[in-house]
Order: sequence, then structure tokens, then C-alpha cells
Amino acid sequence: MKRLVFTLLVLAGVIWPLTNASAAFDPEPVPDVDLSFDRITLRAGLEVFTDVCMGCHSAKFVTYQNLLDYQEFGFSREEIDVLRGERRLLTGLISTLTADMAKLYYGRVPPDLSLMARARDGGGAYIASLLTGYEHDPARRIPDEAYNIYFPGRRIAMPDPLNWLGHKPGDEGAILEKARAVASFLAFAAEPRRAERRRIGFWVMGYLLILVAVLYLLVREDDKASEV
Amino acid sequence: MNTLKKLTKAGVFRGMAQLSKPAAAPKTFNYMRQLGALAILVLALQIISGVFLSMFYKPSAVATFGGYTMAFDSIERIMREVNFGWLLRYLHIVGASALFIMVYVHLARCLYHGAYKGPRKFLWMIGVVLMLLMHSTAFFGYLLPWGQMSYWAATVIINIFEAIPTLGPMMGQFLRGGFFISDPTVSRFFSLHYAFPMIIALMVGVHIRGLKIEYTVRHSLGLALIVLVYAYFVFFNPTAWGLFMEAENFSPANNLATPMNITPPWYLTPWYGILRAFPDKLTGVAAMVLSLLVLFFVPWLDRSKAMTSANRPLHRLIVLAFCASVVVLGYCGHSPMSEPLKWLGRIATGAYFAFFMLLPFSHRLDRHRLARLRKLLRRLWTGLLKLWPLLGKLPKALVKSPPKRAQ
Repeated sequence: MKRLVFTLLVLAGVIWPLTNASAAFDPEPVPDVDLSFDRITLRAGLEVFTDVCMGCHSAKFVTYQNLLDYQEFGFSREEIDVLRGERRLLTGLISTLTADMAKLYYGRVPPDLSLMARARDGGGAYIASLLTGYEHDPARRIPDEAYNIYFPGRRIAMPDPLNWLGHKPGDEGAILEKARAVASFLAFAAEPRRAERRRIGFWVMGYLLILVAVLYLLVREDDKASEV
Repeated sequence: MNTLKKLTKAGVFRGMAQLSKPAAAPKTFNYMRQLGALAILVLALQIISGVFLSMFYKPSAVATFGGYTMAFDSIERIMREVNFGWLLRYLHIVGASALFIMVYVHLARCLYHGAYKGPRKFLWMIGVVLMLLMHSTAFFGYLLPWGQMSYWAATVIINIFEAIPTLGPMMGQFLRGGFFISDPTVSRFFSLHYAFPMIIALMVGVHIRGLKIEYTVRHSLGLALIVLVYAYFVFFNPTAWGLFMEAENFSPANNLATPMNITPPWYLTPWYGILRAFPDKLTGVAAMVLSLLVLFFVPWLDRSKAMTSANRPLHRLIVLAFCASVVVLGYCGHSPMSEPLKWLGRIATGAYFAFFMLLPFSHRLDRHRLARLRKLLRRLWTGLLKLWPLLGKLPKALVKSPPKRAQ
């Protein structure tokens, strides 16, 4: 048995690097995207989203009613009323850019962002990285506004939304903060029930652990009883 | 611990144990033997969570705002608005994987212990039918979220059926309800996804009818342990690193954008791995169908009188190799295609079919014959070691012989 396990481990050690050899080079993603969802980060993220992202993108599954209901934001009814203006409470965060206009301007329709943090490997970190991933193409084939080192194929239709390339020296930190905040907001928007899930999970796991312990003791007693 | 001992001495646990113990189980009772029984409980959980999910799910591919469909939107509604909807959905998704893990280990256990023999040949065949029914049910359910991976995995799998000569195109058309996957497909898949579990439940009844099922307290412990792992995935890791829920499937289905790597859900990947091991589609499909059908004949392929592998070293070896080949095939079917993986998949496919070819002869090599064979091999090896220095001298002698020059 030991030998079998050892052989399997050695085989896995040989095969694993072979299979990953063809994987493309990936730049390191931006670290420190906040997933504890504190109020300040979430509100800052929502602000970046409504100011910048919502110019083109929507988040149709996040309604104003949701923003009022989710305790993480801590919005009052008045604040939500200011935010929504004339829009109804049950509408999502929907951009004013229509699909036809988007096709005319950018060549394609911007995807809805409600689930973006779960729809890409890397989640929030991917989003923060993408927003700060604009660079000059070393091969000079792709124009600056479309060259992003984190995007598959490196050619992206979205022009540098946070002005990462053209920022003043010393502004990197502020832009990075914005990117992280909006990534945190989108990670929250992709699964608003995450906190509830984990909170209940601790109770369930605790209960089950106690149950397993009790049943284990029972099984031991059972063994003793059958020995006699 | 001391107080616990006192408690047990006082007879609390002993009393409970005696209360809960209808029959004394043998001490050698193997936890693996419970998996079949526990799988039925997970199946029941699947049916219950599925019934509740279907109250909120809308099987329609009618487009809504932003490239989404009714089906996708209704699932997002379940995740966000329905009370504990997220719990129902995660229970259902993780439950599908849990069911397959348990069924596969149950199957491997039966292979190892020769449980398909004797009076239980029919039982084994019903079991294989059950597995195929579960595969189809899972495949129907996988399309329902109408995400990118749902759509494209369904496209790939239905195209597999299309490779069958003459019948194929008709079958494909019937499954899709048209010429491409669209609104009729999702509604009929929903209907079939609801209908098949009824057949499964019936078949499970047939599967366990003749068995004498004894409940012991160990079953409770086994169940609690499995629910513990289950709960971990439901509450803390529902995507299971992209294995239970692919990232790709959080994007709505788009028939104009193909994902980079289309894979079926993990429990179908071993057979997808066999399909991909062949360069030609029809051969691959034939091999895949054969790899599933051949399972029916296992009771007749194994001609040994003994049941378990304990006394049959070759049988044990090939069963373990078979299990390993299924795992490797699953890995190959799941990963993006590459040159080393292609060959790994081919070797594993060979190992998969070699199991069925070796099975009729597996009982020929019992413990005593193995001992003799080992002795023979050891002798050969030592003889070779003795010969080795001589062998080394041979080329030297050839090289060192002075070349003859013509005078």
C-alpha cells in the first residue's frame, strides 16, 4: 500500500509539470482585494461603479432595493433615493448606453458585470488587475488603449477606464485603491449571500462535528459490546 | 476525557448504543460497504432540493436584458431573492457531485470485492443501468442554468450522438428539439431532468429489493462524516475550485462565443477522456459506448469462484489499475488538450480496456503461483546481475582488439 501511494505520488510529480508546460505565461494578479466587505470599501466600490463603469456596463441583478436591503452597505432610504433619482426601486443598476450605441462606439456590447467576479478565474483580483493592466505594447502592434496584459489575447475592447496609462506621477496608489474597491464591490455583487452562507456554515459544521464525535463514541461502545 | 470515561461507565453511551443497535455488526465492518446505502440518502436529498428548486426555475431560453435568458435570470433570482434559495441550489449542485463520488466508489468497491458474482449478477446490471441513468439525468440538469459551459457542453455531447451512423442525426434532432440548442431544448431537458429521477428511484427499489439491509450505528457515523464533507463544500466551497461550478458557467450562453476549453462536468470526464483519446470521432464514440457497455459483462468475464480480491493478487492489481486509469482519464478529459496529455489519455484508455481483457484470466494467478513467479523472477534477476560484468567486458573486448592493418 505504501509503495503504491509512493508510486502514485512520483507519477503525479512527473506528470503534473508535463501537463502544465503548455500553459500560457500569466502576469501576477494584483493582491489585496478585500473580501471581508466592510462598509467603506463597498461604498467606495459602488461609487466607482456608478461613476465610471456604469457609463457603459450594467449590473442588472443588483437593484436599488437590494442596495437598501443588504446590511453591508448600511444605506438609508434617503441615500438610496438620491442615488436612484427618477428610477424605480426594483430596477437594477442599468447603464444608459444602449446596445446599438455600444456596438457603434466600441464594436461590441459591454458585458453585464453582476456576475463578472465569478465568471472569470481569479475573481475580484482579476478585475482589479485588469483595470490596472494597461501598458504600452512592446511589439507596437496593439494601440495603447487596447493593450492589456491581463486580458486573454491582450487586446481588449474597453479603453482604459481609470486612466491608468495617462495618470500623473504619484497617482498610482489612488487608482489602485479605486480598482481594488470596485473589484471588492463586484465580488460582493456576484454573490451577495456569501456572508450569510459562511455564517450559517459555521453553525452547521459545529453541529456536525459534535454529532460525529458522539457517534464515534457510540460506535466504540458498540465494538466493546460486540466483543463481550 | 476522564469525565467522558465516567459517563460511558455510567452507561450513557452504552445504553444509547444498545438502543440503536438492532443487530451486532462484525468488527471488520468496512465503511466502504455503506456507500451504496448512503448514496440513496443523497439521492433523496437531490430529489427534495430539486422539487423545491423547480418551484422557482423557469425553463425558457427567451432573451431578457443584457444577453441573459429567463432560465439564467430565474436561477439568479433563486440565488439572490428566494429565501435560502442559494442553499437549495448549492445543495443540489454539490449533491450531484457527492452522489457521483459515492456511486463511483461503490462501484469500485463492488469490483474489488467481486460483489457482482453469484446470485447478484442481475443486481450488478441494474447498478450499471442506474449509473447510465444518473449520467443522463446529470447531463440534462447541466443545461438548465443556460450558462456558457452548459450550452457548449450540451452542444459537444449531443454532437457525440450525431456520430452514430443513420440514427445519429435523428437522435440529435430529437434531443435538441430542432437543429441547434435553443428554447425547445431547455424545456425538454427540464422535463427529462424531472422524469428520469422517477425511473432512478424505481430502479433503486429493484436494486436493493433482494438485499438484506442491516442498520448499525456505524451507518449513522458514516452518514454524519459524509454530511460533514458535504456541508463543507455547500457552505465554504460551493464551486470546489471550479470543479462543481465552472467560472465559465456564470456567463450567459452565447452561441457566437466558444469557451477556450469545453469540458463536461467532472463526473462525465473519464468517458470524455476515452472519446478524446482517439483521433477519429466515430472510433472515439464507439470506444466510449463500448467502455460503458462492457461493464454489463463483468459478471461473466470474471470466471473465478472466489469472490474478493484478497486471494487473487492479479485481480487486485488490475482492479486498482482500472480505478487509477479512470482517475487519469477524468483528469485528461477535464484539462485542455496537449501533446503529453494526449498520450497519457491513450495509455489510460489502454489500461481501461486491458482490465476487461485480463479479467477472465485474473484468477489463474493465485497466491502460490505468484510466489513461484516471484522466485523465478528473482532468479532471473540475480542471474542477470551475475552476467552483467561479463556483458560489460564484451564490447571492451571488441573495441580493444587491435585493428589489423594490411602490410
